Amino acid sequence: MREEHVKRLLVLAGSLLLLIFALGPFGWMLIVSFADRPDFLATREFSFSLQNYVDVLTSPSLHFTDYVWNSLSVSFGASFLVNLFALPAAYAISRLRFPGRILIPIVILAVSMFPQISIVGYLFDLFSRLNLVNSKIGLIFPYIAWTIPLALWINLSYMQQIPNDLDKAGLIDGASRWKILSKIIIPTALPGVFSAFLLTFIACFNEFLFALMLSIDYTAQTLPVGIALFEGLHGEIPWGNLMAASALASVPLIVLTLIFQKYIVGGLMGGAVKG
Amino acid sequence: MNPEGWREGYDEGEWKIALVFILPLALTVFVFICLPVMGTFWNSLFRDVSYLPKMWVGFQNYGKVFKDPNFFPALFFTLAFSIVAVTLETFFGLLFALLLNESFPGRTFLRAIILIPWAIPTIVSAKVWKLVYEYSYGVMNVLVRGLGLSGEKINWLGTSGGAFWALIFADVWKTTPFVVLLVLAGLQAIPEDLYKQAMIDGAGLWRRFYKITLPLVLPVLLVSMIFRTIDSLRMFDLVYVLTGGGPGGSTQTLSFLGYRYFVNDRFGLGSTVSVITFGISFAVTLLYLKFGKFRERLK
Amino acid sequence: MKTCNLYHGAFRVFCLFFFLESLSFLNGCGPSERLTFMVGGAPNEISCWEKVLADFALETGIKVDLIRQTTDSDQRKQGILLALRGKNADPDVMLLDVGWIGQIAASEWLEPLESHGIDGSAFFPSVVRLADTYKGRLIGLPLYVDGGLLYFRKDLLEKHGFPSSPTSWDNLKICAKTIQDKERAGNPNFWGFVWQGAQYEGLTCNALEYFVSAGGGFIDEKGSPIFDSAANLKALTFMTSLIQTDKISPPNTFTDMKEEEVRQVFHQGNALFERNWPYAWSLHQTAGSPVRGKVGLTCLPGFDNLEGASTLGGWHIVISRFSDRKKDAAAFVTFVTSSLLQKRFSLELGWNPGRMSVYDDADVLEKNPALGALKQAFLNAVPRPGLPCYSEMSLILQKYINGALSGNLAPQIALQTTQKEVEEVLKEYEP
Repeated sequence: MREEHVKRLLVLAGSLLLLIFALGPFGWMLIVSFADRPDFLATREFSFSLQNYVDVLTSPSLHFTDYVWNSLSVSFGASFLVNLFALPAAYAISRLRFPGRILIPIVILAVSMFPQISIVGYLFDLFSRLNLVNSKIGLIFPYIAWTIPLALWINLSYMQQIPNDLDKAGLIDGASRWKILSKIIIPTALPGVFSAFLLTFIACFNEFLFALMLSIDYTAQTLPVGIALFEGLHGEIPWGNLMAASALASVPLIVLTLIFQKYIVGGLMGGAVKG
Repeated sequence: MNPEGWREGYDEGEWKIALVFILPLALTVFVFICLPVMGTFWNSLFRDVSYLPKMWVGFQNYGKVFKDPNFFPALFFTLAFSIVAVTLETFFGLLFALLLNESFPGRTFLRAIILIPWAIPTIVSAKVWKLVYEYSYGVMNVLVRGLGLSGEKINWLGTSGGAFWALIFADVWKTTPFVVLLVLAGLQAIPEDLYKQAMIDGAGLWRRFYKITLPLVLPVLLVSMIFRTIDSLRMFDLVYVLTGGGPGGSTQTLSFLGYRYFVNDRFGLGSTVSVITFGISFAVTLLYLKFGKFRERLK
Repeated sequence: MKTCNLYHGAFRVFCLFFFLESLSFLNGCGPSERLTFMVGGAPNEISCWEKVLADFALETGIKVDLIRQTTDSDQRKQGILLALRGKNADPDVMLLDVGWIGQIAASEWLEPLESHGIDGSAFFPSVVRLADTYKGRLIGLPLYVDGGLLYFRKDLLEKHGFPSSPTSWDNLKICAKTIQDKERAGNPNFWGFVWQGAQYEGLTCNALEYFVSAGGGFIDEKGSPIFDSAANLKALTFMTSLIQTDKISPPNTFTDMKEEEVRQVFHQGNALFERNWPYAWSLHQTAGSPVRGKVGLTCLPGFDNLEGASTLGGWHIVISRFSDRKKDAAAFVTFVTSSLLQKRFSLELGWNPGRMSVYDDADVLEKNPALGALKQAFLNAVPRPGLPCYSEMSLILQKYINGALSGNLAPQIALQTTQKEVEEVLKEYEP
């Protein structure tokens, strides 16, 4: 049938476009990072080299590992705390009947989707008085604020999908709400919790403005800030070093995303659409 | 204890438990969001410049910001950027979602790799795009000259138009996967039978899309568009790395403008821009809440 | 069950990570009293600093932590400003561009140096007076002094029959155009004149040189802005024509060209004239450099019969008022500004020392014979306005000059708008 042909053509064209779209820039990053000279398109000579990676990982003044550790610990800490707070709240909203059950999450959502610039100036002044500028603990606070809507909404979506019967059974047995939450609901909701944690982790890892303005040097600066301010170590044109650093910064996240695809996709899709 | 009737009405003891469960989150929101926003508003009422003493000026800062020749261009740029970026993201998001909804060999692979742009940190992707647009040896110039589209090397980031589109492409690349996922979920919710019936009735490919798919996926598209708009309005990372606000300050977003005020030690004006940006974002968020049918989803 | 094991395993990893992380937070809990030195610059400069810090540790036993910044002057300033305004104990010692030192000193963020036994009498008196003194107290020392210079390819001038480097801008244009047209046949990437035109502080420095050498400038003796003048218009029109009409400067001059980018082009043999700071000299002369031995150095030309101008640049070393190790910081400052190290910076990096005695040193003169003449130039270099609102003024100027260079804004309008906006800003700084 003609329609079959048209469809097949569209699928082929679309797939090709998607392939180039998704892999193009990323592939380019990898190619340049393994090149001896980043201007090989102009000089028409390409030689494979691992030197860029060696430079980035071993140079002491670059503090690359510090940036990675800062990003990991701050993102981890913030994700952990924000989900710790969001879980019970999601449970209460989805299960318990109390005045404000619908209003409270809506208000929280309304306020939580703020642009970073809205609070960073105040935070900077506050932190300078509390001596929290350039500290990892200091960074956790805005990161928690930043990921509240994500954590609340994903946990809520998953909670709503868990049938009330489980609670009912627990209540009949005389368990308290807290026990029901920790012993029954959380184990069942674990995929959702994991989703929420993963997504908030990635959101914190990618964050830039807070880290840029609230930290000064490698003791607290995160990986995005390190990469944004990175200019290469030696050699005349630093793009090779920069792409190596970029690859090192992205590949773990990509691997994480691909492995835990199911959770990420589930979280994102359930988080904003009735799933 | 009321095990039989626990579903009906409000249970007396419930609200106390609910309070305990919600308090940490509510307190966090209040302390880490509400207080700073109010604090920023308070700060915007003072002249706070460099070493000069902090002085109450009421709403004068707002007047100064509106008169700043950087402000309205930044506002228009931010709005224009959001509108164009969201339109393109939605377009490509829908396109790819339609593709990934069909079954064909390799679909799982494509569904996996579509996440790659989303997974890469924005700053990293900005640096890669900066390399792509590099004047002397970037991919774009090589492609354009190789394909014979232009004899000379083009300075992509050198014109405000070029810089605008460079930012748009970088942003669309990064955020389309998110839209794809949302729309895909919406597409998957459309019952197969509708299409079967339409095919029996003799409707062609385009007709099926136009009459069935589009209307049913429109709510999802709308929600995703508004959500993406809120995100686009706070764009900062790409501008910082790719254009630095240039050329000639023509690609400054509101967030970038605020940042510039802050790092030039004009905290009063920075706070003012922050408040204005928050106001705009809040207005769109209210729209999002209305169209996202959150009240229904909570019941 | 498989899922059970997965969760159990994940939980264990989770706990381990959490434990490690809490340790890291405890570590970073209080200020760790390092002696930190914040500096940016070209990669070869950073390597030199690493060696200097190592030598300092060997000599005094004091370990200094290097906080590395980018080459971009604006980004360096942002990092420093946030640290100082945030009253952070780090960095203890830092380098400030002479352009911002006025503002930072006026904010009372710098530690006076005399109480630590540091004395500025051996350094260029005009520089110390104009930049390093605040309310009568010494708050910094010129680590190195800079002035904008003209580099040229003496081999190419000779080859195409030009007897000497041009002394007027118009002659430079003619020379560059002629030689560019001829050299393009063999090298399509060749440009007549490369200079810093991107929208950043460097553009202000370049602009000041053109303006002053045309008889104009930024401010008058009373400190009032004089941007909107016929002399400035002539200069700006000339600058724009280099890129847009005569095309002897590359089209990305106003988007990408900063110090390193300009140096790269000249270094690769792709430019006839280069306007840059003195640091580029030693890099051009390194072994393996394509232009080694072919480079000449002279003062910038002027318009018609006027003398060329050279913007006073350079970086000054200061101690933060919030430093938690001021005594050690002072020792470091003394070390770095000593004759020995000033000479070393000159020999290794081609920096022009702030300490005057080094200019008479035989070794230094042998390596860099131009230094003798440079001393004279530095004694008369044109400083940027020392106003506290200078950074804002510079930002305005950068934006509109850059706009004019891009061809999108008429030079007349650019200057008029700059004048108006700077006047607005000055009003805000009235106490």
